[in-house]
Amino acid sequence: MITKLLREATPSFTWRHRLDNWRTEIFAGFVGAILVIPQGITYAYLAGLQPEYGLYCAIFVTLFSSLLGTSSMMSGPNTAVAILIGTAVVPLAGRGSPIYIDYVFLLCLMVGIVQLLFWLLRGARVFQYLSPAAISGISAGAGFLIIMASLDSILDLSTFKTTFFYEKLYVILSDAGSLVNPYSFVIGICTIVAGYVGRRYSPRYFIIIAVCAGYICGLLVAFIWPQTETELEYLGRMPLEWLPFAVPTVNIEYLMTSLKLIPYAIAIAFIGLAQSLVIVRELKMETDQHIDLDKEVYAQGVSSILAPFFSSFAGSGSFNRTKVNQSLGATTPLSGIVAGVFVLVLITFLGPILTYMPMAAMAGTLFIVGMDMIKWHDITHYSLVRSELVIYLCTFVGIMFFGLAVGIEIAVFLSISVFLVRISQLDIKVEQSNSEPVLKVKGALFYASVAHLTEQFQSAVGKNLTVDLQYTTHIDQSAVDFFNREAKNMATKENTLTLMINEKQRRFLEKLGANATIKIVMI
Amino acid sequence: MRISQLVLCVMLLLVPFAANHAQQDQPSITQLLNEPFLDDYYSNVVYGYEIVTNTQEHASRYVGNSLNCSNCHLQAGTQKDALPLNVAGMYPKWRAKNGKRNGIGLRIRECFLYSMDGIMPTEDAPEVLAIAAYITYLSQGQVLGAEPEGRGVPTIPDTGYDPNPANGRAVYLAQCASCHGQQGKGLGQMPAVWGGDSYNKGAGMNRIQMAAGFIWANMPLGNAKSLSYQQALDVSAYLNLQYRPADPNDSKFLKLLEHLIN
Ligand code: HEC
Ligand code: HEC
Repeated sequence: MITKLLREATPSFTWRHRLDNWRTEIFAGFVGAILVIPQGITYAYLAGLQPEYGLYCAIFVTLFSSLLGTSSMMSGPNTAVAILIGTAVVPLAGRGSPIYIDYVFLLCLMVGIVQLLFWLLRGARVFQYLSPAAISGISAGAGFLIIMASLDSILDLSTFKTTFFYEKLYVILSDAGSLVNPYSFVIGICTIVAGYVGRRYSPRYFIIIAVCAGYICGLLVAFIWPQTETELEYLGRMPLEWLPFAVPTVNIEYLMTSLKLIPYAIAIAFIGLAQSLVIVRELKMETDQHIDLDKEVYAQGVSSILAPFFSSFAGSGSFNRTKVNQSLGATTPLSGIVAGVFVLVLITFLGPILTYMPMAAMAGTLFIVGMDMIKWHDITHYSLVRSELVIYLCTFVGIMFFGLAVGIEIAVFLSISVFLVRISQLDIKVEQSNSEPVLKVKGALFYASVAHLTEQFQSAVGKNLTVDLQYTTHIDQSAVDFFNREAKNMATKENTLTLMINEKQRRFLEKLGANATIKIVMI
Repeated sequence: MRISQLVLCVMLLLVPFAANHAQQDQPSITQLLNEPFLDDYYSNVVYGYEIVTNTQEHASRYVGNSLNCSNCHLQAGTQKDALPLNVAGMYPKWRAKNGKRNGIGLRIRECFLYSMDGIMPTEDAPEVLAIAAYITYLSQGQVLGAEPEGRGVPTIPDTGYDPNPANGRAVYLAQCASCHGQQGKGLGQMPAVWGGDSYNKGAGMNRIQMAAGFIWANMPLGNAKSLSYQQALDVSAYLNLQYRPADPNDSKFLKLLEHLIN
């Protein structure tokens, strides 16, 4: 066991034998780096941090999880994780203030620890119980939150805060004239339109097209009106260092306050892993990469723990960048490693140009990303099965009204409930042989599902009854107790209960104390 | 005997602490800096202090030159007659320029835009809020609405002569160049007084009266008030003529270029 864990804990680099087309990998990494820059900046904004933290996240989280991982998944800043970090820490300190950053770092440490616990407890399997509808619901809900957050910046609403989205919409609509900053609105719209038009021509790079359009529009505005008049928010200079070492402050006072962060740490750890594992599993199905799920969990955990030491926050796998990466032909973690390094190089050169990047343009791309996360075909897809649709909609609406953390709880709770209801269902067929009913039971017979048998037994009062347990997967104590009780009842009416079971089940029944009144027939 | 001596010693040792505590109702910056944990307000005060004294590192996002706030707001904004920052009680204040009452936030942002030749942070940027907290901290004990003693810079009385840049150049070379350099770029740790790394043409320091007041009251550093009023006016007229970054309100294209290049 320990050697297995150790093997998982060290980077394996088994993929180095598959590096025959390393040029593709490097190109894919380069594209990934370009795509992650706007994401890093905007997700840092969602997390309430200065943009450079998002870029550090894009560099180091991507780098670490690719170094330790086994797949071509692109990790890095992630929407849901960023939103959760923001909602967790905002009540404790003002956005972006030094204490705030300390708390974010502490939170990420906790996330990493929780994720490593998942790894030690072989938690990768847990995520199989999370229904795909729940994941789509969470992603759609996160998309909605992102759209709402992007409106803040597109319309320049920084000065007022609302709790519910409809309040915000109402305020915007009722007082648009005095609230909305026309300059940032124009830049935002320009970005969004360019994004949607650009997608026609280049579905891969349209975000870049959108950013460029927004940037140029911003330059034009800055050229005609001074900043004192437009009140536009610009990205500004980013003081990037190549090795931004930081030591997260950990002391008693922080730890006391950060107890409040624990539920969020668990939620972030969970949602981060859930997304990464969905991506990895898809990759595993669609490509022939040798992917080790546990190892991916470990890579994610370690990169979350290391993130605060490199001035970045926790991240997770990115659906869209992994897709682009895959479509460019990357099959090894090399592309991720290269992407991390390229971000560093690109930002060093792009830095001065990005100074005048209007935040409204960044928010415009965020808007597009948010819209993409709410997929209509998901709803039509899941509407075929009622329980899935319920999970999807409840998660989505829960996130809309109560935030992402609550939404995730709802999703997990509903997935587990549906799962439990499903497996506690028994498939009972009633056949007649010699005018005596024979019950053929399919499924797991345990405390939750025994109730279904009761009804059948009641309708067969006064007859000899045979229960065929051939296709039963599991029998527990309460089922045996149930049979004992029923057999006794039937004996008083001079009827017998017959169980048809196999050898293994017989031994089991004996161990659990089956009554002598039950007649046993071996198959 | 021994024990009572010991107790006495301990009590004597405690006296300065107790007295210190009684005197001040708020901790000093040095005390705050040594604290391992600060609440939201004091951590912002410390952050604000760090930004003011080392803007280059702590608020570089918005800075376009190589100055720090404390280059003009001397002693981290605590020195009288050197644009002290204990002015929270003076805001919000009515501005003819935009016809609105503006809080301290706008004033801070303008110093970023002009004096630091950078870009304006938003009103709710963490840096702005932190500086505002620091200004509130400095203003502790001031009467609200009353002009603090030594606010801004002293007004230079009318000397009867126009400022003369040619005389100013002579004064500059004699008195200032040793620190600020022949080319005004600043030597070593000294700040630049003109050129691409100094305040821009929209800055308050680019007004002759303002700069003359500042220079008369504070420069040459360590030998303040040694210049005559006329010399101060002359040298600020000289500074005013030198090349420096464009005013972001007048020449936007130039401004864009400047920012993109450096
Ligand atoms: C080049 C010198 C210079 C630098 C650097 C500078 N300022 Fe100023 N600041 C001034 C001048 C001059 C004034 C007075 C302007 C006026 O009254 O119009 C002023 C005024 C202010 C005031 C209002 C003071 C009052 O009396 O009402 C505040 C607040 C302020 N600055 C903050 C800052 C901050 C924060 C920074 C750093 C980011 C900064 N300043 C950097 C020159 C500077
Ligand atoms: C002993 C060196 C020294 C001399 C001499 C000196 N200065 Fe300064 N000056 C400084 C320093 C240091 C600062 C920044 C203050 C601080 O950081 O505490 C400064 C700040 C300034 C500033 C505001 C900041 C800026 O860069 O715009 C001006 C204007 C200025 N000096 C003008 C002058 C003039 C004019 C003279 C000559 C009369 C002069 N100085 C002489 C050291 C000097």
